[in-house]
Amino acid sequence: MSAPVRRTDDSETPAPVDEESLVRQARRGDLEAYDELVRRHQERIYATIYHMTANHEDANDLAQESFIKAFQALKSFKGGSSFYTWLYRIAVNKTINFLKQRKNRIHMSLDDLDFNAEHDPDLMALISDKTPRREAGLAELQEKLNAALLKLSEPHRLVVVLHDVQGQSHEEIAKIMDCNIGTVRSRLFYARQQLQALLSDYLK
Amino acid sequence: MNENENENNFESLCRLLVLKRHETPPPGYFNYFSSQVLQRIRAGDTGKSANWLEDLFGQALWLGKLLQAFDVKPVFASAFAGALCLLLFLGIIYAERPDLSSQPVLQSATTAASFAAISPSLSQSAGQMGIVSSTDPVLSLQPVASLFVQQNSLAQPVSFSLPGN
Repeated sequence: MSAPVRRTDDSETPAPVDEESLVRQARRGDLEAYDELVRRHQERIYATIYHMTANHEDANDLAQESFIKAFQALKSFKGGSSFYTWLYRIAVNKTINFLKQRKNRIHMSLDDLDFNAEHDPDLMALISDKTPRREAGLAELQEKLNAALLKLSEPHRLVVVLHDVQGQSHEEIAKIMDCNIGTVRSRLFYARQQLQALLSDYLK
Repeated sequence: MNENENENNFESLCRLLVLKRHETPPPGYFNYFSSQVLQRIRAGDTGKSANWLEDLFGQALWLGKLLQAFDVKPVFASAFAGALCLLLFLGIIYAERPDLSSQPVLQSATTAASFAAISPSLSQSAGQMGIVSSTDPVLSLQPVASLFVQQNSLAQPVSFSLPGN
């Protein structure tokens, strides 16, 4: 089993191995290489699933299962798209199937807000005396925001999560969702309109 | 509407959505994530345990589509339940009806009954002789012997008398 990370002679810091060769090694069954791939993408995959489900436990299960399924399906990965896009598709499909099944059993289990949230000027402006619901704290705002997101259909929620929360481009989202850019744009516009109506009390 | 204009319209919403980026899993969560994944891969986990329904529906597409139709239009679910109830009801009625295979037996029984009606004296005397009318296709005219051995002759009356009395 070959090592996934090469070390250069002149320094102790490992030279990053390109994703393509990691995928090649993982396809041969190299778990160390796959471990490196998991580490590279775990945060974004988990975050996408978490923002879609608003439940930490579900996101944990689905993220793990997505990586397991991806490893098992690596042999069928033709390389037509990047490994990252392919992995996203697996995670997104798994999440949407899961959400369809649990449709009427929504239970939020939200992650805590990090320390930086309280120091974000944009967020503080939202809970300042200028907003109609100025008594709303960050935690309440977080809950209302997640509840509003859960009211969107899965494709609309996914576009908002990938674009507005994760900052992905329309092109990348179109590849992940296997649709054209126009569809992504119109879904994003409609989803934002819905959210704005649902959260009007909290927006200036 | 161009993209910039669109962004401007939703400026405060986009600022609110930034809050989602601050939601983070418990500290140290990602330190063990990949090792858990690899552990499950080594253990031969197929990823089916937690979501076996999804895999089941994946194999039986028609079942998945049917349940999806129930989700989309509840009227389908009601119609399906109604059809099942009707089927069950018809099944019960059919089960309570006389079995078609017993028809020859009934015919024989009817024959025996009509025979008894034609000659009531004969049937009366047969009754006295211990002939039992039967619905069996073969009408036995032999008197039926007792199924139990009578041991009346061996039974002796017992009387108990206490010494004090």
